Amino acid sequence: MTRKTFTRARRSRLLSATAVLAVGALALSGCGQREGDSEASSTIDYWLWDTQQLPAYQQCADLFEQQHPEYNVNITQTGWDDYWQRLTAGFLAGTGPDVFINHPSRYPQYADLEVLLPLDEQDATANQQASDYQDGLMELWTGSDGHRYGSPKDWDSIALFYNSDYLADGGVSPEELGSLEWNPEDGGSFEAAIAHLTVDDNGVRGDEPGFDKDNVAVYGLGLSDPGGGNTGQGQWGSFANGAGWEVTDEPFWGTEYNYDDPALHETLDWYFGLSDKGYMPKYGQFNQDDGTLSQLMSGSVAVVSDGSWMVPAYSSSENFEVGTARMPTGPDGTAPSTMSGVADSISADADNPEAAAEFVAFMGSQECQSVVAEAGVVFPARTDSVERTEEIWTEQGFDTSAFTDPVEEGDAFFLPITSHGADVAALTIPAFQEIWADRPPSAEVLDRINPAINDLFIADKEAEDADSGN
Amino acid sequence: MTVLTQQPDRPPSGRPSSPDGKRRRRPDDTRTALFFIAPAALGLAVFLAWPLIRGIWLSFTNYNLLTDPEFIGLANYRRLIADPIFWDSMLTTVWYVVLNIGIQTAAALTIALLMYRLTQSTLLRGLVLTPYLVSNVVAGLVWVWILDTQFGVGNQILGWLGIDPIGFFTDSAWAIPTIALVNVWRHMGYTALLIFAGLQTLPASVYEAARLDGSGEIRTFFSVTMPLLRPIMALVLIMTVIGSFQVFDTVAVTTNGGPANATNVLQLYIYDLAFDRFQFGYASAMSVGLLIVLGIITVIQYRMTRADSSDLA
Amino acid sequence: MTTTNTSSASVPSGPASSAPGDSSPATPRKRTRRLKPGRILAWVVMVVILLITLLPFYWILRTALSTNPSLLSNPASLTPPEFTTGAFQRVLGMQSTEDALAEGGSGSALNFWRYLLNSVMVATLVTVCQVLFSAMAAYAFSRLRWRGRDKVFALFLAGLMVPTVFTLLPNFVLIQQLGLIDTVLGIALPTMFMTPFAVFFLRQFFLGIPMEIEEAARLDGSSRIGTFFRVILPMAGAPIATLSILTYMTAWNDYFWPLMVSYTDSSRVLTVALGVFRAQSPQSGTDWAGLMAASLIAALPMFLLFLAFARRIVNSIGFSGIK
Repeated sequence: MTRKTFTRARRSRLLSATAVLAVGALALSGCGQREGDSEASSTIDYWLWDTQQLPAYQQCADLFEQQHPEYNVNITQTGWDDYWQRLTAGFLAGTGPDVFINHPSRYPQYADLEVLLPLDEQDATANQQASDYQDGLMELWTGSDGHRYGSPKDWDSIALFYNSDYLADGGVSPEELGSLEWNPEDGGSFEAAIAHLTVDDNGVRGDEPGFDKDNVAVYGLGLSDPGGGNTGQGQWGSFANGAGWEVTDEPFWGTEYNYDDPALHETLDWYFGLSDKGYMPKYGQFNQDDGTLSQLMSGSVAVVSDGSWMVPAYSSSENFEVGTARMPTGPDGTAPSTMSGVADSISADADNPEAAAEFVAFMGSQECQSVVAEAGVVFPARTDSVERTEEIWTEQGFDTSAFTDPVEEGDAFFLPITSHGADVAALTIPAFQEIWADRPPSAEVLDRINPAINDLFIADKEAEDADSGN
Repeated sequence: MTVLTQQPDRPPSGRPSSPDGKRRRRPDDTRTALFFIAPAALGLAVFLAWPLIRGIWLSFTNYNLLTDPEFIGLANYRRLIADPIFWDSMLTTVWYVVLNIGIQTAAALTIALLMYRLTQSTLLRGLVLTPYLVSNVVAGLVWVWILDTQFGVGNQILGWLGIDPIGFFTDSAWAIPTIALVNVWRHMGYTALLIFAGLQTLPASVYEAARLDGSGEIRTFFSVTMPLLRPIMALVLIMTVIGSFQVFDTVAVTTNGGPANATNVLQLYIYDLAFDRFQFGYASAMSVGLLIVLGIITVIQYRMTRADSSDLA
Repeated sequence: MTTTNTSSASVPSGPASSAPGDSSPATPRKRTRRLKPGRILAWVVMVVILLITLLPFYWILRTALSTNPSLLSNPASLTPPEFTTGAFQRVLGMQSTEDALAEGGSGSALNFWRYLLNSVMVATLVTVCQVLFSAMAAYAFSRLRWRGRDKVFALFLAGLMVPTVFTLLPNFVLIQQLGLIDTVLGIALPTMFMTPFAVFFLRQFFLGIPMEIEEAARLDGSSRIGTFFRVILPMAGAPIATLSILTYMTAWNDYFWPLMVSYTDSSRVLTVALGVFRAQSPQSGTDWAGLMAASLIAALPMFLLFLAFARRIVNSIGFSGIK
């Protein structure tokens, strides 16, 4: 008997020791839990990824807090890759932000997963007017279900960025660079200029006899990411469009991709062929993560195509001036540019949707947008604020018409929005890598994946039909 | 709870305790055992058995992590069979395993035999083991740097030898062999020590006999060492092959599946499906596929081991 | 000689063990130590292998002690082309942003101490709990007599056959439902209670402890539990230490599971942080010096552990199943 009680006493002590251990573990991990859920209703958690834009939005948040002393905005910035991972986890674990900057390539998936709040159903954001914003932006952020999932913040388009020293060395004027034309047969004056701007280790230019394409010191055209997502947004997307290629059957919410279009294949074969000729780097030559920015900044390339959101980054160049020029004119006579833009979205499990919507509305108001314009980091989404950005960039020596002319002339086109973005990317990213790395005819690769991509949408349709049939 | 009626025979332990103390011991033991076993049993049930069942269940659903799973029958498995990327990925993984295990086993066997014949030094064994101390992530990063196309010392050395730079991680033909070799680098010392430990268990008498027969070093190796070592090698292979099939870390930090899916090993594809594309159900079905493959391999290898050991017994 | 044992079979990264120790190896040593050509060749091969094994570590150090621009202009210099400890300072958050940018860092702060602390917490939690609970279970399986013991043990053994890959996804769902995503506990939990291998490994050892010792303790009035903690555990000090070191290493170096569960600094461990560091390269290109410095610091605790317990670790690698 005595032994039994002894055992029990010991056991309970041990159990409590175990319990203490477990509690300790919980306490340890407790620091990982987000604090202050109780006061969360007055705190708006706001996430963004771009460091360049952070100061402007911080300023907006401060203004908002002044006008709404009852609210408190807490901004968190994380790098691009990390950002989407954290967001995913946030949705899974309910630790995400209330409001976050969303990207057109990502939001359809989130909308499908029902983790976004429709802005047209929130009081503060229901009345945002499409006419206040750059044409098409509201449409860009309207889901296939007709609900609006983003309040536009900015828009962007693609242009050429150049190293002005290399341009001067080659005797190419910025005006010339901005008025070139290309075609898939011989590359036109654009390829000629790119070849001329390419210099090998012996100082021989790409269009001169004796050019050594295997030992290139400066490439005419930079490239780091062969796919740019699904559509070569900053790379070949604008070229392909000028050759008459449409990514999908409808600009928004199309259900058929056109990767099997010969116009695209011709464009890609010509474009990636530049790397065979030594005018553009080969796959793997530069670290892809570093982007074309580091290629241009390190003096390894003369020209790159990139988005307007990168202007602040390129403007930080110290060793030489960076300028911008319009994308070349394609076979169809237009000089198009891919357009896109980011927006604020509200998480479906926002602690206080009302406050979140008010904040979002403020971020889309002229008051905040003019702050953004003043910072000169992006083209603000509102038409009444965009001029100020243009002025600032022009002062910095950038030709903003390279970005705005295609838009004004109606040659700019939006990045398509479709369902299954991640599934499409899973097929296209390796395909574009393959085309650049191994240089097979692009038709061979793309004709293989295009049916697989369209099957995704056919399956959807079948499922829908089955549902409605019931 | 019923008490055992039949007392198993135990050797008299010479316990001079009272007879009724002995009778009372049994139920007491069961309860004590429950206490001792409880945490581990909880772990087994919650983090091994339950996930096993749940994983199989999820493979029959369209679970996307955010909304409730819906039973969709064999749809995931039908898709799996028709998914060219899955089969590609499977081939890539098998190619990796063949290279990794082939080279690693050969290297480890060489190291083990050298150590066995040359020295018993603990220092040497410790040095050989060093790469095993660092994580796969660190190993991957170090080799990405050493083998960088532009700035890596590896390609500088190749340059001195008059060889053009090789894109070890960026050339689709080189990427898998390179990753396989990185993991050989990390694991060969450890595997060598396993084989070494096996070598130490071999009876010395056999060697004496071989030596008396005038058998040379190489002949002894093939006629004596190898046959004796076979069961040990089989065991080493079971361990390493299963580990090798689950390769992820090194690929994730070096090539992340590229170029052009050349290194899209199964685990990476599963991860991508589950966490980038939210197709948790399909990813689960793929895990089941991997589980089946691993099961088959284990059974085959297990048979081999058994057969061998009975030969030797 | 019995060789068939499920023990090591499904422990891909967890080393099988049980030390044959340094005990009388059956090496047939040549009595004559003449340096035959074959022996010289063998040593040459051995030295080459050692170089392949160890040189990358020198290269990490050499890189970590350089500035990035100098690394790019002197890719093959054997010594740090421009010596600085800046990379280490940068990683540990002790360098100013200007200096960091000048040396080719990203300038953004890396919460390294936090990751280190997280790694220590995860590895410690896993090791302490797993070894304790596994030892308890092993004791029940080896020293206690109870109904269904062998059947339950067979279940544990079966657990050895389940590859980790399969439990990852469902365990993620479980951790999510427990609300432990992005917490240190969430990372540690699945391996905190036991691994079949640890139970099996310790059981084999406990079986070898003479019954008499335990009986004697019990005669002195010690309970089963008391006996376990006061007699059995101390007696099994050596294998428990071995198991602890191996468990610690495994937990420390794990990447896949923490990658799935941890998303922010609050739970991010070193392995995951290194991957993120690599992805977050500054505009001037990857910060190799910083990355190598971070790798070295991440590996350092393991090196120290190894220095302290080298003999034990080295000798512990063997076959638990082979007797």
